[in-house]
Amino acid sequence: MSLLSAPPEPATTRPARAAAALVPIAIGAAVSVGLGFYGSVHPATGIAVGIAGFSSLVWVKVWTATAAAVLAVVQLVTARMMWMPTSGAWVAPVHRWSGRLAFLFTLPVMVHCLYSIGFSTFDLRSLVHSVLGCFFFGAFTAKMLILPKKDLPGWVLPVIGGLVFTALVGLWATSSAYMFATEGIRF
Amino acid sequence: MKRNTPLLTLLAGTLVAVGLFGASSLAVSSASSTAESAAETPPAAVASPSASPAPGAAADAPAAPSPSAASAAAAPAAKVTAVWAGHTDGGAASIAISAKNGVVVAYVCDGKREIWLQGTAEAGQLSLTGAKGAKLVGTFGGGKAKGTVTSGSVRYTFTAPAVSKPSGLYRAAAQVRNATVVGGWIYLSDGTQVGVVTIDGTPSTAPPIDPATGAVTVNGTTITAAYVDGELS
Repeated sequence: MSLLSAPPEPATTRPARAAAALVPIAIGAAVSVGLGFYGSVHPATGIAVGIAGFSSLVWVKVWTATAAAVLAVVQLVTARMMWMPTSGAWVAPVHRWSGRLAFLFTLPVMVHCLYSIGFSTFDLRSLVHSVLGCFFFGAFTAKMLILPKKDLPGWVLPVIGGLVFTALVGLWATSSAYMFATEGIRF
Repeated sequence: MKRNTPLLTLLAGTLVAVGLFGASSLAVSSASSTAESAAETPPAAVASPSASPAPGAAADAPAAPSPSAASAAAAPAAKVTAVWAGHTDGGAASIAISAKNGVVVAYVCDGKREIWLQGTAEAGQLSLTGAKGAKLVGTFGGGKAKGTVTSGSVRYTFTAPAVSKPSGLYRAAAQVRNATVVGGWIYLSDGTQVGVVTIDGTPSTAPPIDPATGAVTVNGTTITAAYVDGELS
């Protein structure tokens, strides 16, 4: 039997229920551990690319993280609406695109944190922030991989979505909110 | 195809992140960080040509042997030029250590009290002393400095990563309305800063400096804090 004659995708139906989420969760966990490992071993450079219009990179991060956190609230609201019996046709696209945008906003922050600062443990705030940061991208990866799976129990997506949301809000609280509280509102 | 848009989101995000990492590493190689880590390793400090375009404290590394250029190659002594800055263990205070050609200034500050120290960095060892018997003993290498600061009953341990401008140590000394003002600031790579300004011998929490210019307003007068690269002016 040659490879060419094989179907492009094995159309196996999976009766497995929650177990189907295990592989995505394992991949997500690997992402988290990988980011944490990189953040620990990569020497902090103190330098990264910046964005014009802000007084310093830190404030770029503060505001992009804030934008992501605001979009995360949109995520929470639209996610709740999708689970109602009746909801507008606009809800799902808004949920998808606000999510993509929020993810996009988190990327430069993640890169700067990992590349320029690294996994920090010098106080409780930085430790919580570092752990949550690694967790967030792992949880997000897991959620993206779980989404196409249609045969999962109904509670799986809300749980993992809730974890992603909680992690992002926690990240915002331990960084942007901390900066606003200690330095005031700046740009 | 259409079903797996989440996977596309992930892949697109990965691409963006990889691109940003690439851009960051370009930014680093064109800035002082490579020079700094090179300068920190004693033999490389003299040999590395990459140190020359560095704008930060490391910029002066190749200039150091110039008075005795002939002997410089023969004696690649531990003329360390680097800046380390971070929080002390437990986060109670910040510390910045600035070495230039083996001459070191260190500053420890928790926003209320401060300790200035001066000394040397040679062969991986930091040895500094300050007023009232203050002492810093530590080691450096591998992109970080670690050690212990003692002053009276106060004792801090620290592990501080190598940083580059604008992160590091700032100092201002000026006369403002007939008062002697001396200020010290530590600006960390996470954007946080801490400082103490001493006006006629009385210390208090310093207003923040603008790391871009070093400008700070003390008692209504704007003074400029200078980036400390190893010697107190």
